[in-house]
Amino acid sequence: MENIFIILLGLSMIYISSTSRLTSHINMLILQGWLLFLICLSGFISEPWFNYSIFNSLKENLSHITGIVLIIVETLIVKSFLIPVFLKKVMKKTHAHRDSEADIPHFYALVISSIILFIGFMSVNIQTTDFKLISPLYFGVSISIIITSLWLITIKRTVLSNVISFITMENGIFLLSLSVAKEMPVIINLGVLLDIFIAVFILGMLVREINTEFEDLEVSHISELKDYTE
Amino acid sequence: MINFVLIFPLLACLILLFTKKKFLNNFFITLYAIVHFIVSIAANLNIDIFPFWGNTVLFEINGINKLFLTVLSIVYLAFAFYNNSYMKDENSNERRLRHYTYMIMFFIFSMTGAILSTNLGINWVFIEGTTLASAYLIYFHKTKHSIEAAWKYVFICSIGIALAFVGIILLTAASGNLESLYYKDLFEHAKEFNPFWLKMSFVFIMFGIGTKMGLAPVHFWLPDAHAEAPSPVSALLSAALLNSAFLMIINVFRITVYAGCDSYARIMLFVMGFLSLFVAAVFVYHISNYKRMLAYSSIENMGILSICLALGGSGVVAAMIHLAGHSFIKAAFFMTSGNILKIYNTKKIKNIEGLINVDKRTAWLWILSFLGIAAFPPSMLFISEFLAVKTMIINGNYFLCALFLFFLTIILYGLAQSVTGMVFGKRTEIIGNKQLSIFMYLPQILLLFIAFLLGIYMPDSISNIFLEASAGL
Repeated sequence: MENIFIILLGLSMIYISSTSRLTSHINMLILQGWLLFLICLSGFISEPWFNYSIFNSLKENLSHITGIVLIIVETLIVKSFLIPVFLKKVMKKTHAHRDSEADIPHFYALVISSIILFIGFMSVNIQTTDFKLISPLYFGVSISIIITSLWLITIKRTVLSNVISFITMENGIFLLSLSVAKEMPVIINLGVLLDIFIAVFILGMLVREINTEFEDLEVSHISELKDYTE
Repeated sequence: MINFVLIFPLLACLILLFTKKKFLNNFFITLYAIVHFIVSIAANLNIDIFPFWGNTVLFEINGINKLFLTVLSIVYLAFAFYNNSYMKDENSNERRLRHYTYMIMFFIFSMTGAILSTNLGINWVFIEGTTLASAYLIYFHKTKHSIEAAWKYVFICSIGIALAFVGIILLTAASGNLESLYYKDLFEHAKEFNPFWLKMSFVFIMFGIGTKMGLAPVHFWLPDAHAEAPSPVSALLSAALLNSAFLMIINVFRITVYAGCDSYARIMLFVMGFLSLFVAAVFVYHISNYKRMLAYSSIENMGILSICLALGGSGVVAAMIHLAGHSFIKAAFFMTSGNILKIYNTKKIKNIEGLINVDKRTAWLWILSFLGIAAFPPSMLFISEFLAVKTMIINGNYFLCALFLFFLTIILYGLAQSVTGMVFGKRTEIIGNKQLSIFMYLPQILLLFIAFLLGIYMPDSISNIFLEASAGL
């Protein structure tokens, strides 16, 4: 079941790279949050300890339950609610609705991101002993999401789409962390979550400041600081 | 004791938040600096002051991080006294000054946490915390340029640190059945790690944390951020922040050494180190802004640290001496650049001439800091660079040694050209404030004194700190 969600997650990146409306990018972020939640949920269901009675005996299953609660907070509340709402607010304040004229036409962007995803899928078939340490589909798709996001950062024209690509990259890293069968300790997870959330928050604030100081959100205009100025 | 030094800034921020008294801004920054200093001195003497605060398993003071903690304390103490005078005539309202104080406290807190953490994951969290705290400090002047610098800083560093997290995930994959990210366990079980994933993880962590450390080719945020931040903050960024990122790289490098796949890591360190020297040599030659010049010099010195670490053996001792010397001298250099900015109100090198006729003390500090950074004996950097060159010759890396000296000579020429041009000359008209308080000279004098004194005479107790930090590599 989770394979379908993972593939959908990969496909959502193709959609992001081939559209220019920021609202649809943000809607995709919401979708990605839900998909990540569903992937985690199907992971939990397949665990031997998982059944509905664990919620009746809280004390014995505390570590499992905190894990589940944390995943819900991370994926549903932060990734698919707080961050999108905040970005929509920034979008409204800055009147940015479209990422006009990306450096590469949408058709080519679609082709290139499809190729990256395809290579990700292909890497699933690598049969070496080293790759036995990770789940291949998770790994292939997450690496392709990270690479696509990094590439999108370089071609998109407005700072807001850069922030969106940064968040999709974080989603890719989240998927990667699921590919290693081990769980990170709760305190590290919390710290990571907090850091990413604050980073997005600060970036959003800076986007607004850039909008007032530079009069628009074009990345190419943010190049006043140079080494060889007269 | 460790808990106290970590909880203190949070308590101070809370008190400031509720009382909103103006005098508390400087008071807390200075008090925290003194507490920090006392704690690190106590740590060096192996005394646990404030034992009732207890210690947690996530943080500890050990041989590896003692040096970094001490350097941070000394630089922060100098910063605190300089900052008090520097911020006095800053035309900011009370609210912004309060935010500045919160962020300084949070910045020092996260650097201390990053240095003392015993867990790779927690170390990552704190390194990211330093980015978030210092973003506001860079953006403090709220000009077009400072927004640009802050944007580049947060964006580039966040991406870098996110990639470092990929490295940590790959390290957990490499570690097989080991369910722990504590450095102690990682060092102990390094031999059983899967070499393929360990190498992959080192690549990601080196690039990610290398971004934070300012190594080329991922250094692009550094000159902008250092040039646009208020001068005391630039001093902290260059002399403390880069070190705490370097410590994380050392720790991960240590894992690869213990696992026996360090040759690969050494090549990466060499490549990034020499690229940093190259970038600094190219850009410093015709630089127009003196704060950017110092920033490029920081990139150069981070490159030297990386090369020294890659050399291994006595090269690592050289790296540790270089790290301490660079921090003291560069902090003094940046603070003096703050004096020049106050006097002339410009950052352009060509608009400044005849500094020695305008303010003798600042001019001499500027020259002495330059001599220190240029590794002129008896500067500490002379010992470290001499040791590095010696190690290269003993190892038979003649070509690398020649390249190393060639780049250093170009950088030295570039710096000397700008520094002498600014200090000497006839023109003396000035625009800004000429009378500076004594506390805008004293911290630099003390920092330079330490850096030059340790170059002449290093007692055993101090050289042991350097040896302990480099043991096993």
